[in-house]
Amino acid sequence: MTPEAMRRRAIGQILLLGAGLVVLTFISAGSVYLVNQAREDARWVVHTVEVENQISLAQLQLSRAESAERGYISTLLPDFLTDFEKAASELTADLMRLHRLTSDNPVQQHLLDQMIPLSDQRIEEFRKTIALARAERVDDAARIVREGIGRDAVGRIDDMADQMRSEEDHLFVQRATSADRSQSLAASMTAVGSGLVVLLAGISIFLVRRSARARDVAEEQLRENNLNLEATVDARTVDLREANDEIQRFAYIVSHDLRSPLVNIMGFTSELEELRTDIFKRIAALAGASASPAPGAAGEIEPALEGDDKQLSEGFSEALGFIKSSIAKMDRLITAILNLTREGRREFEPVPIDTRELIEAIVATVAHQASEAKAQIRIEPLPDIISDRLALEQIFSNLIDNALKYLKPGVPGDITVRGRKKLGFAIFEIADNGRGIDPKDHQRIFDLFRRAGEQDKPGQGIGLAHVRALVRRLGGTMSVSSELHNGSTFTITLPLSWTASKRNRDS
Amino acid sequence: MSKPVTIIMIEDDEGHARLIERNIRRSGINNEIVPFTNGTAAVSYLFGSDGSGIDHGDRALLILLDLNLPDMTGIDILRRVKENKYLRCAPVVVLTTTDDSHEIKRCYELGCNVYITKPVNYESFANAIRQLGLFFSVIQVPRSAP
Repeated sequence: MTPEAMRRRAIGQILLLGAGLVVLTFISAGSVYLVNQAREDARWVVHTVEVENQISLAQLQLSRAESAERGYISTLLPDFLTDFEKAASELTADLMRLHRLTSDNPVQQHLLDQMIPLSDQRIEEFRKTIALARAERVDDAARIVREGIGRDAVGRIDDMADQMRSEEDHLFVQRATSADRSQSLAASMTAVGSGLVVLLAGISIFLVRRSARARDVAEEQLRENNLNLEATVDARTVDLREANDEIQRFAYIVSHDLRSPLVNIMGFTSELEELRTDIFKRIAALAGASASPAPGAAGEIEPALEGDDKQLSEGFSEALGFIKSSIAKMDRLITAILNLTREGRREFEPVPIDTRELIEAIVATVAHQASEAKAQIRIEPLPDIISDRLALEQIFSNLIDNALKYLKPGVPGDITVRGRKKLGFAIFEIADNGRGIDPKDHQRIFDLFRRAGEQDKPGQGIGLAHVRALVRRLGGTMSVSSELHNGSTFTITLPLSWTASKRNRDS
Repeated sequence: MSKPVTIIMIEDDEGHARLIERNIRRSGINNEIVPFTNGTAAVSYLFGSDGSGIDHGDRALLILLDLNLPDMTGIDILRRVKENKYLRCAPVVVLTTTDDSHEIKRCYELGCNVYITKPVNYESFANAIRQLGLFFSVIQVPRSAP
């Protein structure tokens, strides 16, 4: 999977989640709104019922007032009077409540406004008849009742109450429908929302599963790659080891085989030299013979040559001299390579080493050179390590030798060997106050047959190459820090505990 | 010495062979020198056509052997000589450029009598060969057992 596709997928997931959240919020808000709406509708429905109830109550109180009045007129019992007063006051209260309840509806208010004076008028009539009855004029009162004065008002009140009721019925239907609608809307909204959420969840699950599958595939791939990588590393290591062995063998064979022709070159050069001696003896003899015949003496001593002959002889000698010195140099180089390859093939043996003792022994062997150079060698506390003794001896003696060899003329030498431990490694430093090494030569000095600075000391340019090869074989590293004229510090980092299995197997 | 010692020189480098011969002669040894430049020819000479080496049963031989031969290693020749009942008494001088201590040890273990590394320094080389010549002049080489 490309990174682009992965990013797109991640963005898709986020968008999906976002969409889900939006839908859920919308549904929640909608539901809350619709539930409130439904409650409101329900409240209106209840209100309608309450209004109808109140209308009925008002009518009932009116009827109660009427029957109490009748009862009083016919019996003159004061109980009826009390009943009447109670009904009348409740009627007023009921009407007031009705008025309050229908304050939102102008139609009902209008009807009520007509109804209230009518019912007040009716109560007044009742009071009048009661007053007549109380004044012992029951007949008049009965007459009023009989004549049905105010019947008309009652009819109108009932009529209005019916109108109000029908109005309320109408509202009831309207409100009930509205409540229904709100509820069904809420239900369908919830259903649709849930469906959407479920759909989004489904898509999300699908995407998650798909990416999980992709991840599994990628993990599998990664595991496989890791295995492959390990196998590759192993194979490369084996290759490298073989290549290294081959180079070792190659260097050995080449240097060895180079020696054979060198023996011939040197041998026949020496033979030539002898021939030269013979030839020039003869030339001298011939020259001598032509000048003054004196045979016998020619064979014993090197005859004196003159003029051109002498030049010839010197030219011959010079040529032979260069050939021989070159051969000698070549032989030294070949010997050096042979020794290096031999070192490379030697098996290292890790043993516990008292580093201080080892360095003191080396210092003792160079004591004479040190006193000649007026140099002091200081050994600071050193960590003990487990490593190959001979290799360590070679490393330190090479470095101490170098430090002594390249001191500044006329300045008393001061060479310090320091050591410390760090993270399973021992770090040794051999510092001197010698002539120093130009930073541009820092790499070069570790190369085989390469040297730096003034070439006033004998040497083949092998020491440091050898030391570095040894340090590497011991699983360490080495470096130099130095400036021209300001001394040098060689730093060697070696594992505190080197195990043979690590590298002998390699070599 | 009832019979003069024959020097068998097995040396693939003709230059070396010539230098060795010259220096042996310079030290005053005039014995017959039979040179071979490869192992196969030397082996067929030493062991004869039947490979038994009986041809040299009554001769006194001294073998000068180089280890690096084009067709086989000198070590093989050394081993075969020392395992052969007619030849095993013949002194073998290994004269080679190899100065590897393992190789030297191996040669002595196989029965080589002298091991000389050819020094590139000609003086040393010539010197070594001349001393070898002196050694030849005093050495008593037995005739091979019948």
